[in-house]
Amino acid sequence: MIYGAWICLLSPLAAAGLITLAGERISRRGAGYLATLSCFVAFGGAVATFVGLLGRDGEQRSIVSTAWTWISGGSYRSGFEVMIDPLSVFMMLIVSGVGALIVAYSIGYMDGDKEERRYFAYMALFVFSMLLLVQGGNLLLLLAGWGMVGLSSYLLIGFWHERPAAIAAAKKAFIMNAIGDATMALALFLLIKKAGSLEFGILGGEYSSTVATLVALGLLGGAVAKSAQLPLQTWLPDAMEGPTPVSALIHAATMVTAGVYLIVRTHAIFESAPHVADLAAGLGAGTLLVAGLVALVQVDIKRVIAYSTMSQIGYMFLGVGLGAYANGMFHLMTHAFFKALLFMAAGIVIHALANEQDIRKMGGLRQLMPRTYLAFLIGSLALVGIFPFAGFFSKDSILAAALDRGAYGYVLWVAGLAGTFLTGLYTFRLLFLVFWGEPSPFVREHFHALKSNAVGLSLAVPVAILAVLSVVGGWIQWAPLWHPIETWLQTAAEPTVSPENWQEWVTSALALLFGIGGMYFAWLFYGARERRSVPRFAFAQRVLEHKFYFDELYDALFYRPTVWIAKGLYRWVEDPLVDESSTSLGQDTRDLGRLVARAQTGLLRTYALAIASSVAVLAVVFVAVK
Amino acid sequence: MGPNTAWYLGVAGFLFGVGTLGVLIRRNPLIVLLSLEIMLNGANLALIAFARHLNNGDGQIFALTVMAVAASEVVVGLGLIVALNRKRVPLDVDRLSSLRG
Amino acid sequence: MIVASVGNVLVWAVWVVAAFACLGSAVAVVSFSNPFYSALALIGNLGSLAVLYLLLSSEFVAAAQVLVYAGAVMVMFLFVIAYVGPRTESPWTGGPNWQAIGSVLAAGALLVEIVVVIGLKAGGALAHSHDVGGAFGTPSYIGRLFLTDHLLAFEITSIVLLVAAIGGVILGAHSRTVHADEVPPL
Repeated sequence: MIYGAWICLLSPLAAAGLITLAGERISRRGAGYLATLSCFVAFGGAVATFVGLLGRDGEQRSIVSTAWTWISGGSYRSGFEVMIDPLSVFMMLIVSGVGALIVAYSIGYMDGDKEERRYFAYMALFVFSMLLLVQGGNLLLLLAGWGMVGLSSYLLIGFWHERPAAIAAAKKAFIMNAIGDATMALALFLLIKKAGSLEFGILGGEYSSTVATLVALGLLGGAVAKSAQLPLQTWLPDAMEGPTPVSALIHAATMVTAGVYLIVRTHAIFESAPHVADLAAGLGAGTLLVAGLVALVQVDIKRVIAYSTMSQIGYMFLGVGLGAYANGMFHLMTHAFFKALLFMAAGIVIHALANEQDIRKMGGLRQLMPRTYLAFLIGSLALVGIFPFAGFFSKDSILAAALDRGAYGYVLWVAGLAGTFLTGLYTFRLLFLVFWGEPSPFVREHFHALKSNAVGLSLAVPVAILAVLSVVGGWIQWAPLWHPIETWLQTAAEPTVSPENWQEWVTSALALLFGIGGMYFAWLFYGARERRSVPRFAFAQRVLEHKFYFDELYDALFYRPTVWIAKGLYRWVEDPLVDESSTSLGQDTRDLGRLVARAQTGLLRTYALAIASSVAVLAVVFVAVK
Repeated sequence: MGPNTAWYLGVAGFLFGVGTLGVLIRRNPLIVLLSLEIMLNGANLALIAFARHLNNGDGQIFALTVMAVAASEVVVGLGLIVALNRKRVPLDVDRLSSLRG
Repeated sequence: MIVASVGNVLVWAVWVVAAFACLGSAVAVVSFSNPFYSALALIGNLGSLAVLYLLLSSEFVAAAQVLVYAGAVMVMFLFVIAYVGPRTESPWTGGPNWQAIGSVLAAGALLVEIVVVIGLKAGGALAHSHDVGGAFGTPSYIGRLFLTDHLLAFEITSIVLLVAAIGGVILGAHSRTVHADEVPPL
């Protein structure tokens, strides 16, 4: 079982290393196969670990396996260790499983790209980093994985590096993540000072409320940055510049959910700082509303799905902020299934339309790509949370948990329900615009169906698997009736809220109602044969199209002053002091030399005069001294 | 009897000064060499005067050695001047300034 | 007494004549524009110096001065001056430049210092000279010193002369006139 965990962690790293070292000796498709194989091996390792853990009792389900002592300085000691407990195994299965499917899909999607090998090396690196994050046995390794997923994200967003938009998006993502990394590092410093180590156990220790609040804030900062929640959410839509499988894996299923994982893993410190936990829930609720609203006006197929990711992670933050850890993690799992499904189906659409992503040019693809349409439909229904698809079970239990939290909980509950309406609206707006109606002129011109070869297979099979999972995956836990996930995760993170059963039923009914309401309105405006014209509110439209002006705000607040300071420093400090000093050093030396060289007249008489004068002077000196 | 040593030394000093002046002023290297001879002679006179003053023959020996060395130096110097002349280099120490910085 | 005072006056008279001749010819060497005249003035200088050496009881040195310096070295000079040709150049052409002024100052300073040292500092040390014996300054006296106390100087000097002779040959190679390579008599 321990071997299983190590194999799970190291297999993608081995693939990344091999692809990098092999260079051109490995074929492009071969690199893809290698990466996919390594991810499946990792999944196998995860399954082995899971099975092994099943055989143990609840209390014994937390093992830390240390490879060697990594850092040892003073009284601080940190090992390169792997944590095997229900929570980490849960994440391992999701990351390696969904990751393997997406990497398999990439073989078909990235077929023909000149730099396929680099892509698969980066993907394998990412899977390793994410596994390190979830399997890390102490906070230091978690931070290491944290940084590495940020790096992989940067590398993959900017994969097509000839495109300036991609480069800019990669930088934006990395810099915003770096803010989160900084706050997390500060929190860890504080922990080291107060507790002397970074093992997970210390999080349950006794801290003054100030210390606990600061640490929790720092961790929350990192989670907010990584998961693209308010106020650090602006990088996620731009990250859609990367290839679609990247969007599916990193910006839907795994990396952006790392923030949720972090909060659950460090739940003890959040419980010691309840205000920060409430803040997390509040930020989640705010994000889900903002993202849902902005998604209503997006015209890029991937951006709609990106905003829906932002919104769903808001739900997860809501859940774990309230203390419903198992519910949050459950939603993380189902979200991974249907969001990856949606992205991959969208990827097939994009490929079929010669890389066109503007939904205003699409329409009527239902007849042309029936199976893709089916997959997209399943994913959308799961996203909105319609019974019996996956999202129903997970999302509603989060909302029900909000009822157990008093007045603040009620506010969050209402926000969550409103979000459900929005989800239905924007999801089905997308579906209707892309698939229903008559094929648009653009579609007629550019559509070409997928062939049934290896490429087509590699695109179709993972989609099919995820579609099946989106249908049945939710049944694993129906909160009022059976909840194995909650039991499974109990030893790692005991929930602090438990809603009554009647609260669960009421919430589910209401959420279903709102979801269907959203779908109906979407049908009214976009899907019906006689489409009603969409009501236009110019001001709201402008605000939403500018994504609530967050980008402009950050530009004015941070970017411009920084550039101004940098320019000032260049002009007043660097140019005169640093640049000029080096040239003036040479110049002044030369001038001094020229000055001194004037003594070298080359004339015998001058030298003789100098000697004679010196003798005269010296004679006086000697006589005077004597 | 006769003037005491100080007078001889005065003459020697004067010779030395005149010789220095000549070395510094004149541009013709031949005259420079002649002035150099005057300086050496001034030194010789001082040596002889002191030898006489202290009843010590070393001064005379030294003076004779100086004479021999001066002769050698004149040989080499004149050889240089002749070589310069053969190369049609102008005999003017102010023009011989290739070591100018 | 009279003999002594007459002798004294004689010595003084000879000294004054020789000294002034010496100084005057030195100034002449430096002042003449024609190098030929300068060389002749130097011969006069050397001659008067020889007289002064005689007054200082250094007969051998006086003789060597006349034979070597005035006889051989100056002849060499005159040869070269004649070979090089007429070349007149006055030191005072071009008006007072800083080199000339500086030189006068330096030389003057040296002179003043020497006078000061002799006059003021030496004090009475120069007043009374020792008595010298009759053998002082004779060739045998010099010879003995050369071959006993100052043998090293003697030998090295001969090597120096040899090197100079070789140098003279090398410098003068390919010339039509052969310079008088000299070996000073000892």
